[in-house]
Amino acid sequence: MPQIRAIVADDEDQLRKHLRSQLADCWPDLIICGEARNGQEALELIEQYRPDIAFLDIRMPGLSGMEVAQKIAGACWVVFVTAYDQYAVEAFEHEAIDYLLKPVTHERLQRTVNRLREQITSSHKPPLEISEIVERLMTSLPQRQAPAYLQFVRVQKGDGIRLIPVEEVYYFKASDKYTLVITKDGESLIKKPIKELADELDPQQFWRIHRGTIVNVQCIAQVSRSVTGRGIVRLKGRPESLAVSRQYIHLFKQM
Amino acid sequence: MDAHHITPRHVLRDLGYTIIISAVIAAFLTFTGITPKSFVIVLIVSQSFGVSIYSIIHFLFWVFKPQKTTSVVFTVMIGIAGGTLIGLQIGSFALQQIFSIALKQHDKSFLQTVTLAITFSSIISYFFYSRFRLRASEEVIQQEKIKRLSSEKEALEANLRLLQAQIEPHFLFNTLSNILSLLDTDLHKGKSMLMDLTRYLRTSLAKTRAEATTLGQEMEMIKAYLNIFKVRMEDRLRYRIEMPDNIKKLSFPPMLIQPLVENAIKHGIEPKVEGGEVNIRARKNGDVLRLEIADTGTGLHEDGTRGFGLSNVRERLQSLYGDRGQLILEENRPSGLKAIIEVPYAPD
Repeated sequence: MPQIRAIVADDEDQLRKHLRSQLADCWPDLIICGEARNGQEALELIEQYRPDIAFLDIRMPGLSGMEVAQKIAGACWVVFVTAYDQYAVEAFEHEAIDYLLKPVTHERLQRTVNRLREQITSSHKPPLEISEIVERLMTSLPQRQAPAYLQFVRVQKGDGIRLIPVEEVYYFKASDKYTLVITKDGESLIKKPIKELADELDPQQFWRIHRGTIVNVQCIAQVSRSVTGRGIVRLKGRPESLAVSRQYIHLFKQM
Repeated sequence: MDAHHITPRHVLRDLGYTIIISAVIAAFLTFTGITPKSFVIVLIVSQSFGVSIYSIIHFLFWVFKPQKTTSVVFTVMIGIAGGTLIGLQIGSFALQQIFSIALKQHDKSFLQTVTLAITFSSIISYFFYSRFRLRASEEVIQQEKIKRLSSEKEALEANLRLLQAQIEPHFLFNTLSNILSLLDTDLHKGKSMLMDLTRYLRTSLAKTRAEATTLGQEMEMIKAYLNIFKVRMEDRLRYRIEMPDNIKKLSFPPMLIQPLVENAIKHGIEPKVEGGEVNIRARKNGDVLRLEIADTGTGLHEDGTRGFGLSNVRERLQSLYGDRGQLILEENRPSGLKAIIEVPYAPD
C-alpha cells in the first residue's frame, strides 16, 4: 500500500506543531509533507505535493480554510480545524464534513484518523462536491456577510485622513463634482459625487431630499411645507434649513 | 386625511385662522374698491361665508372621514358649495336684521360675492389641507424617532452587558490550545502564557468591576492580552506601549481601550499575511488626555467590515463624557488604522 501523505495549515506555529505531534501518536505511518502558515501557502502545497489529506484551519490570513477547500475541488480529503465557529460546526455536522475542534483531543483525533484510513484504503475518491457544499456554507454563514451600506467616509483633516462614521454626518451637499460633508465639527470635502453616495448609503437612514442634498433622517428636527408645495427641513443642532424639492416631497407625505 | 389626528385644539385654532383670514379678505376687498359696499357690511358677509364653509367642511370630514385625495377634494368641494349657500342665508339674515339691507339675488354684485367666496375658500381650504398633511407626517416622524430612540437605548444596554462579559470563545480556545501544546514543548513559556490568560480573564470577568480603574491597571490587562497574541503569532506581531508614569495613576473607565486593541489585532493584524505592529501611546495634551492605538494592519474599509466594537466605544464615551469625550479614527501611515480616544485630563 502506498504511503499516505498530509499537509497541515494553521497560521499559529505552535498549533501546527501540536497537531503534527498528535498525529504522530495517532497515525505513526502518516507522512506530513508540508506545513502552511496561511491559505495561499496551503493552496500552493496542495498543488505541489498532491497530498491525500489537508488539515485546514478555518481562520487564516489571506485565504480562509474554507476558501482553500473550495478552490481545490476534491483534490484531497479535507479536515477543517477550528477553535470556535458555531455556525460552521453546525453546518459541518449537517453535511457530514470532517472537522476538529481546538484544543484537539486525542479521542476525537483518533476517530477522524480511523475514518480517513477507512475511506482512503477502500479507494473512495475524495468527494468532488465538497467545493459546492463549502461554497453554499460560505454564503449562508452570518459572519461572512459584510454590511451592505457605506459606514465611513474618508475625509482629509490636517495632514491626516480621518474616517467619519456616516451616523455622525448631518447632511451631504453636492459641490461641483465633489460633496460637502457636514458634521458637528464643520464641513469637509470628499471626492465622491453625491449620486454615488446616494447609491451607497442606507436608504433607511439617509434620504435624498433634493438633487444636491442627502440628509441624515436622525438629524431632522422639523419639516414644514409652504403653500406652493415645497418642503423645508430644519435640523437638530444646525442653524441652516434644507429645501426639499417636489420630486422628493413624497418621502414626507407617505409617512 | 385621518380624522383622529384632529384635536379640538386644532379645530379652534383653525377657526381662529378662518376668522382672521376672512377679516383680511374683507379689508382687502373694501380698500381696493373691488366692492363698493362699506367695510362692516363686507366683513359680515365674509365672516358668514368663512365660518360656515369652515364648519361644513369640518363637519363633512368628521362624518365621512375621506382618505383618498380624490375623495378629500370632492368633500371640500361639497363643503364649499354647501357652506356658500348657508353663508349666504346667514349673511343676508344678519344684514337684514342690523342694517335692513336685502341682498338682491339677481344683481351683478351678488354673483361677484359668490364667486369671490368660492375662490377664496378654495385657496384657504388648500392651505389648511397642506398644513394638516404636514402635521400628520410630523407626528409620524416623531413617533418613528421615539421608537428608534428606545430601541437604540436597548441596544446600548445590551451592548454594554456584552462588552463587560466579553471573552471571545475563539480567542479563549485558541489560547488554551497553545498552552496545551507548550506544556509539551516549552513548559516555562506555557506557564507564563497561562498566567497572562489568568490576568486577562480575571480583569474582564470581574462582575463588580469598579466604575473606574486606573490607566495603569487597564494597561496591565492589555499587556497580558498582547503577550498572549505575541506567543501565538510570534514574529507576525510586534507591539509597544508608551505611557508616562504620571498618566498611569489616572483613573479611567474599564473596557474602553481593550476593544480598540482587540479590533487592531483581530481585524488589522491577524488577517494580514505578513502581520504588523500595534503601538499604544498615552499622553497629556493640554487639558486633554489622548490615547492612541495604532496598527499597521489591513486598515478600515469604507463598508465597515472593521467597524464592530468601535461604535460601542463611541457610545460609551458619549454617555460618560458627553461632547468632551470622543473617538477619532484616522488612517495610519503607511497602513492600518489609528484609533484615538480623547477625554478631559482629570488628575485626582
